[in-house]
Amino acid sequence: MTRLTGGLIDRTKPLNFTFNGASYQGFEGDTLASALLANGVQLMGRSFKYHRPRGVFSAGSEEPNAIVELRSGARQEPNTRATVAELFEGLTANSQNHVGPLHRDLLAVNDMFAPFFAAGFYYKTFMWPRAFWEKIYEPLIRNAAGLGKLSMLPDPDDYDKGFLHCDLLVIGAGAAGLSAALTAGRAGANVILADEDFALGGRLTMESDPLDGEDAQVWVAKVKAELESLANVRIMPRTTVFGVYDHGIYGAVERVSDHLLTPGDKVRQTLWRITAKQTVLAAGATERHIPFADNDRPGIMLAGAMRAYVNRWAAAPVKADNDAIAIFTNGDDGHRTALDLIAKGAKVLGVIDSRADAKALGSYEVFAGATVTGTKGRLGLKEIEITRGGKSTWHSVGALGVAGGWNPNVHLTSHHRGRPVWDESLLAFVPGQGGPKGLIPAGAAAGKGGTATAMADGMRAAIAALSELGMTANEIALPDAVDASQAQAAFWHVPGKKRAWVDFQNDVTVKDVKLAHQENMTPVEHLKRWTTLGMATDQGKTSNISALAVMAELTQKSIPETGTTIFRPPYTGVSLSVLGGGDTGPLFRPSRLTPTHHWAEAQGAEFVEVGPWMRAQYFPKAGEKTWRETVDREVLAVRSGVGLCDVTTLGKVDVQGADAGEFLNRVYANMIGTLKVGMVRYGLMLREDGHLYDDGTCARMAEDHYVVTTTTANAGAVYRNMEFYHQCVWPELDVQLISTTDAWAQIAVAGPKSRELLTRLVDDFDLSNEAFPFMACSDLTICGGLRARLFRISFSGELAYEIAVPARYGHALMERLMEKGADLGATPYGTEALAVLRIEKGHAAGAELNGQTTAQMLGLGKMVSAKKDSVGAIMSRREGMGQDARRLVGLKPVDPTKQIMAGSHLFTEATAHTMETDQGWVTSSCYSPHVESYIALGYLENGDSRMGEIIVAANPLEGITLKAEVVSAHFVDPEGGRLRD
Amino acid sequence: MTDLTPITALGAAAPRVETFGALQIEENAGLALASLALRKGGNTPAPFGLTLPDVASAVSNGEIGAFWTGRGQWMVEAAGKSETDFAALLKAEAPECIVTEQTDGFVAFEVVSTQGGAPIEALMSKLLNIDPKTFGAGQAVRTGLEHMTVFLIRRSDEKLAVIGMRTLAGSLWHALAVAARRLED
Repeated sequence: MTRLTGGLIDRTKPLNFTFNGASYQGFEGDTLASALLANGVQLMGRSFKYHRPRGVFSAGSEEPNAIVELRSGARQEPNTRATVAELFEGLTANSQNHVGPLHRDLLAVNDMFAPFFAAGFYYKTFMWPRAFWEKIYEPLIRNAAGLGKLSMLPDPDDYDKGFLHCDLLVIGAGAAGLSAALTAGRAGANVILADEDFALGGRLTMESDPLDGEDAQVWVAKVKAELESLANVRIMPRTTVFGVYDHGIYGAVERVSDHLLTPGDKVRQTLWRITAKQTVLAAGATERHIPFADNDRPGIMLAGAMRAYVNRWAAAPVKADNDAIAIFTNGDDGHRTALDLIAKGAKVLGVIDSRADAKALGSYEVFAGATVTGTKGRLGLKEIEITRGGKSTWHSVGALGVAGGWNPNVHLTSHHRGRPVWDESLLAFVPGQGGPKGLIPAGAAAGKGGTATAMADGMRAAIAALSELGMTANEIALPDAVDASQAQAAFWHVPGKKRAWVDFQNDVTVKDVKLAHQENMTPVEHLKRWTTLGMATDQGKTSNISALAVMAELTQKSIPETGTTIFRPPYTGVSLSVLGGGDTGPLFRPSRLTPTHHWAEAQGAEFVEVGPWMRAQYFPKAGEKTWRETVDREVLAVRSGVGLCDVTTLGKVDVQGADAGEFLNRVYANMIGTLKVGMVRYGLMLREDGHLYDDGTCARMAEDHYVVTTTTANAGAVYRNMEFYHQCVWPELDVQLISTTDAWAQIAVAGPKSRELLTRLVDDFDLSNEAFPFMACSDLTICGGLRARLFRISFSGELAYEIAVPARYGHALMERLMEKGADLGATPYGTEALAVLRIEKGHAAGAELNGQTTAQMLGLGKMVSAKKDSVGAIMSRREGMGQDARRLVGLKPVDPTKQIMAGSHLFTEATAHTMETDQGWVTSSCYSPHVESYIALGYLENGDSRMGEIIVAANPLEGITLKAEVVSAHFVDPEGGRLRD
Repeated sequence: MTDLTPITALGAAAPRVETFGALQIEENAGLALASLALRKGGNTPAPFGLTLPDVASAVSNGEIGAFWTGRGQWMVEAAGKSETDFAALLKAEAPECIVTEQTDGFVAFEVVSTQGGAPIEALMSKLLNIDPKTFGAGQAVRTGLEHMTVFLIRRSDEKLAVIGMRTLAGSLWHALAVAARRLED
């Protein structure tokens, strides 16, 4: 045990956990990393490429090394940072990316072949033979360069999402964030304070500096209590604001129960979409390291992290209590760590300071003008080599803290292409102009990292933010604090021949950066992709600037001249489960159910997704072995008796007004205004470019009242377009539109016995051919007074009607139709039979109206009225469109048992199958029980004058070529007598 | 009177009602709806004595109410009148206007809190990108809820009506119920 005294852990609440199967104990308030360190465990994982032993490097979300698989079973989560994994009772963690035990990883052999794995080696090595890439090289590399393993089981937990709105979003609850939130909270603004940590305070929890002469936690607790008492402030710990989006929207993930063994009744995580009028970014800063030879051994970590472990978690970073600790620094900040270590009773070897004039700030040895030039210790640091004035000495240490300066966390400021600017006095990039509007960086994130400065800056930022909203905020009394010295020298790496790691997670060394330079990959974007620097899950938070500095040195340019690293969302990894919003499987998206859905379900119908709709696809009966058997039966029932199909899904738009007829004349290609009241007309709509858009029927219910029906697929789009024309193109017309798709349950009653069946339901309504002919429509009542609408229209080619009743009666109407039609053979049919019936009749549907086709191609060119203008009419006559010679035809395979696949292309017999000889394509295909053969529809060059010709339908994808006869598209009743009788 | 028996939007004989802690969600199957739109240049009527509300607002006299849906457009609602031809009644009140029957186009869920407005606002924050602080009693808006379009009416601090497409009733109930249940924890 290397647990120290003090810290923000609750020693009355011990927590048991396992790492790689071994049992350990930590305390509430620990992270997995702090608890492991306190148990003397330094070795926590293996590196990505070389499988080098690695230990914890940081104390936050920037961690590149201590990446573990957390939990087990279905909840096993790879690539979890031990530094932010809150310890809980029963936690299980395993290191990842090794074969065999962690301390004896078989793939560590990779390290011996390191010279072959230099930057760009993928691009250079696995070139030949080409076929090996997918089958051999890639699986091998993936296996060797692991990122942990997925459980391959479904995620058992619930995820949630939500929306929050505030005047001021404060990102980060450290010194700057707390003072900003308090300033704005007291001013009465609606404030959200979010922090990725489970404790408030940021670096205040990790430093030893007092506030107002007391432990800083006293002030943090006071502020927390006051903020909690304010109804206008919402504190969100365990919440990472990961990205800035348009219009002041911030994405945030709240880890609701990641700190529990299982979520129980709670959700695991919540994705919040926060709309903030103003935002203060108080995200702090990330410390950087100084690359030197063999700087990646367990026990070597950021000096600031080391300070955090001893102060906040009372965990010494060594394996044994009496191991000495050294600090390697280029500035005063490293000395703070030495002082804190000494205060905690740790054994300090001294501070190796690259500055020749460095002085001790306490009672410890300073190696001024010295650097660390080597390390030893295979599974944990044992010795370091200190070089000063060309003389090197080896020293026994158990840990080394590295302090290379701090990089402000500018990530979110660059999400809208804001570019950070170089601050030579800070030796860091700070937020520049032009970032997200309303986002004000403050404190260390703005390069103002001293405690006193940060607090004052947070307050200033809050006052400025509220003033933008016309709100006045007063200054608050800030506690007495000091700014620790940030003096440092521009010292970026220790030159040497051995490997010095820059990016630990992706195993990128100074040599790799040099190689990239040699190979002319000098722009920062190329450097990144050639070496994979910064492309691991830590996004190079601890490495980007160091790499830039090395490249600057090589190119003899300044750092800002060399390049600027900017960041994309997310700030840290976001799980796909939480991005999914919660619902999965059939609940993943909303489903529209037809009014007869429950009835169909009770009949054992199979359903099919049609956009958001669930439609009955077919209704299997006992004894039917295949879906085809069922569909054939349903089709024949319609042709010989009467069939029933819920067609509610077709769009219905109510069009009313004095100019309704004129409006419809303009949106339909054919004439509608002349339609008589009580009649229906088939209508074609064109796109602006003249292609076919949608078809349907238009019923004139009264002088100034029409009901337009659309296809199911285009219901929303047609309504939207009609509203566009109404509101934006012809606002002068007196017309009003409203969708009534859901309001009416509409059932197709189709077949020679449909009239007889309906006669049994209508109230005193004459259904004779004379009184209610083909294409008639009427309001009426049925079943003793229920308001209904009847349309005599036919998709099947049979005598047919569509009857509409208020949707809540759809279920009962279907039952009644079945009951009254039992002796007539009333049969429910689904979308499959519907499709067969319309193909047999040669009626167009979505496959024929696919956006590439014209009215002429459908044989309906004359419907585009020349007597009036309408959307797309003129464009439909433009050169090239009007001359398209392809026409809709029917196709019958010479062998009736062979299906012509939709999508097949059509060719004249004995020609090559090329683009040049292509004569059209097959749009729809089915087996026709009526024709007793497979049949198809398709567009064929001059098809209307090629009846009887044998052509070839080729499906080169499947290697199928079939001969087919060109026939009329109307396989059933080409004269149309049936639907008119 | 027809001898056919209607079912609710959720497919049952009786409206669904369920309590989740402080929140109760009830399917309002009796609500009649009809859209009302002015003709070009037409005057705004006062059907049933209602002063038709302005943008993003709703009014009610207890039995009959109206909420704004667009320029010169409202939805008029009548409690317990779904079995009447409410569109015809409204047309008689506003003969110059364009009226369309909408009762069966929608499902109405009435969310009621027993503990003031806070539970309603907590529920809203899980489902709706609407700032509850700007959505007090008498406000109405059309917005998205889990990819569905809905009308929201804040009938009072403690009452929120969510009116969605009838064919999506099951999905809408699922969304509301899951969010309400999670607030119980």
